[in-house]
Amino acid sequence: MLLSRRDLLKLGVVGGAACALPVSATASEHAVVPPPNAVGMLYDSTRCIGCKSCVVACAQANELVPDTTLDNIHQAPNDLNAHTKNIIKLYKGTGAEANEYAFVKRQCMHCLDPFCVAACPFNALEKNKQTGVVSWTSEKCIGCRYCQIACPYEIPKFEWDAFNARVVKCEFCGPRLAKNQEPACTYVCPTHAVIFGRRDVLLNEAHKRITNSPGKYWEKRVYGEKEAGGTQVLYLSHVAYAKLGLPSLPPDEHPGRWMRWSEMAQKWFLLPIAVYLGIVAKLKENFREHEVEMNEEHKKTGLIPQI
Amino acid sequence: MSIATQTQSDLTVVRWQRGVPVFGVPVRTRNFYFLLALTVLGFVLVIYRQVAGLGAATGLSDGFPWGIWKTFNVMTLTALGSGSFPIGIAAWLFHKRRLHAVMRTTLLISFLVYFTGLLAIAVDVGRPWNVYNFFSVFRWNTISPMWEVLWCMPLYCLFPLFLENTPPVLEQAYYFFPPIRGLVVWIVPFIRMTYPYVVALAYTLPMMHQSALGGLMLMAGTQVQALWQTPLLPLLYMWAAAWIGVATTIGAMMLCCLTWKLPLDQSILDELVELMVGLIKWWAIVRLADIIIRALFFGQFKAMLTPWYLPLLFIAEMCLIVIPALRLKNKQVCESHYQLFLSCFVIVLGGLGYRFDPTTFAYRHWSRTYYTPAVIEILISLGFICFCIICFLWAVKRLPILPAPVEQWYESENYYRKIYPYIQLSGYGDTNQYRPHYAD
Repeated sequence: MLLSRRDLLKLGVVGGAACALPVSATASEHAVVPPPNAVGMLYDSTRCIGCKSCVVACAQANELVPDTTLDNIHQAPNDLNAHTKNIIKLYKGTGAEANEYAFVKRQCMHCLDPFCVAACPFNALEKNKQTGVVSWTSEKCIGCRYCQIACPYEIPKFEWDAFNARVVKCEFCGPRLAKNQEPACTYVCPTHAVIFGRRDVLLNEAHKRITNSPGKYWEKRVYGEKEAGGTQVLYLSHVAYAKLGLPSLPPDEHPGRWMRWSEMAQKWFLLPIAVYLGIVAKLKENFREHEVEMNEEHKKTGLIPQI
Repeated sequence: MSIATQTQSDLTVVRWQRGVPVFGVPVRTRNFYFLLALTVLGFVLVIYRQVAGLGAATGLSDGFPWGIWKTFNVMTLTALGSGSFPIGIAAWLFHKRRLHAVMRTTLLISFLVYFTGLLAIAVDVGRPWNVYNFFSVFRWNTISPMWEVLWCMPLYCLFPLFLENTPPVLEQAYYFFPPIRGLVVWIVPFIRMTYPYVVALAYTLPMMHQSALGGLMLMAGTQVQALWQTPLLPLLYMWAAAWIGVATTIGAMMLCCLTWKLPLDQSILDELVELMVGLIKWWAIVRLADIIIRALFFGQFKAMLTPWYLPLLFIAEMCLIVIPALRLKNKQVCESHYQLFLSCFVIVLGGLGYRFDPTTFAYRHWSRTYYTPAVIEILISLGFICFCIICFLWAVKRLPILPAPVEQWYESENYYRKIYPYIQLSGYGDTNQYRPHYAD
């Protein structure tokens, strides 16, 4: 043997370091690169008056049946559902914060690295490579509802009552965008609480608002800049984001982080194929031995061998 | 009392050698009809679910989009049918020759459990008419664990498992249906030729999709509580499936043998127990080490303790798995039928708990929506399980599946000659008339 034990150890260390390098490099790069023409929305809770024009406009633009379950008269959904892609909710403080209140507009966040897109088995949910809009295609969806399980914001909704059920979520008014119009909700907003634009422009605008009025916004940060790798819908608020029902998600909380190892194992199915070929090789050998043994037993007992 | 002691004393000499049908026991008993009624009810309700839609037939909501069909019938119960791959690997790759005796039983359990799991997926899928997307290559999202589950499970069940379950059927056809005897003789060389390739697939595919089932919850990220959620989840899920499957096999074999008063081969049971305990030992070590590392070095200790009932659930789960496994290291426990069966039963319970908890109790524990399965949902789920059981009962009574000593085979020969005098039974225990068709 030419290799001594020490050489082998050295080799192992070098090899191990070489293997570890690319992994640690990807591990440190948690930031997700936004698509080149990423569109976005900026919702400023301090400017929202809770008129719910956007809820109505959204239903109109997306041809959704108004949800009147509350009183059978008004369109008054109590949460996002199969008939509601966009909703205004009210947060009201209790106890010491009794006079604290804020509105929040809930809708799809259009994440930069969306869980739903990574989860969808047949690419029914896709992220547009240019605009970054996450949209749903009817004929690819088999209705497994894995997107609902995976989404940390609990956004995709399933049409439970329908026979031909659809997955309903904000798609940034795709047909309107195609006609060079902005989404219905930003178009109708009377106070410009929600505005539409390029994501980078909106992010600048949000930071400008924070620097212009220090002390107004919660923690002086924009929700959606780094949450779950970054989202294309951005939030500003004067109360804690958790109170508005926006979950606190670390910047590396995106499918890339969770699926890194399994993705590496599944790359081009190399690992399963290698395992398969290894088993075949060993099995062929053992199968021959087994057959010899079976034939011996057959001679002894005279019974047909059982496979 | 006397029967129990008698079988106990026989144990030392009994060796399982061949699969033999459980002869002389009627298939259509009262229990059989009861299970059949539940099965039929389940299948009728499947039609209702297809017509009325998911919302009407189930208790599902946007807060809990996956109900018992997916979380219990598929993600949990398929572990029961995973006994064939660890036992097969031990038998074929690690030269545990004696374990070949239980292969037919565990393969049958696997096939039936997987088949009913597939039925459950088919019922659960909300837009079944789009399932043709399986075959549209350009729509595949191979990163998705769901894609892997949807591909590997049917492939495993309908190809390797199906083929591995054909030998008992062919064998029975050879003895009892002379017209197709030529066909059987013609097919057997093909089976022998392709056997290693098919069997290797039967070990690769379950490893792939059992880990993908863990991957399903991995994608849910921090929505699953930290005691369960770990990057090792796919590995632990697959591993758990392996020992749950072995425990199920032991339990099912014991139940069959004790019900129909068949002899038990203690040496094989001991080997199975050894395999199961070894798998559990390393599984528990890896799981606990992973939890300790994440608690200490990744600051997840606090997340692991909230809410208060989940750590308790975790402890209960681990106790159900580890305590019986530790007890089984004692030879005396292994040799007592009651203790062995009870231990396996408890281990299966704990294992199913481990597979079920991250999908339901530990998933979105802050959510204010609650999920109670609708009656229809439970009945359909139960119908599938009953279907599995009646198929198993029919198969072991009609096909040479359960292992037995050779004497049992000769006894069955006498029995069948008596009730089917018009069928030529050459080869069935007959030394002179049969020559093997393959080269010696």
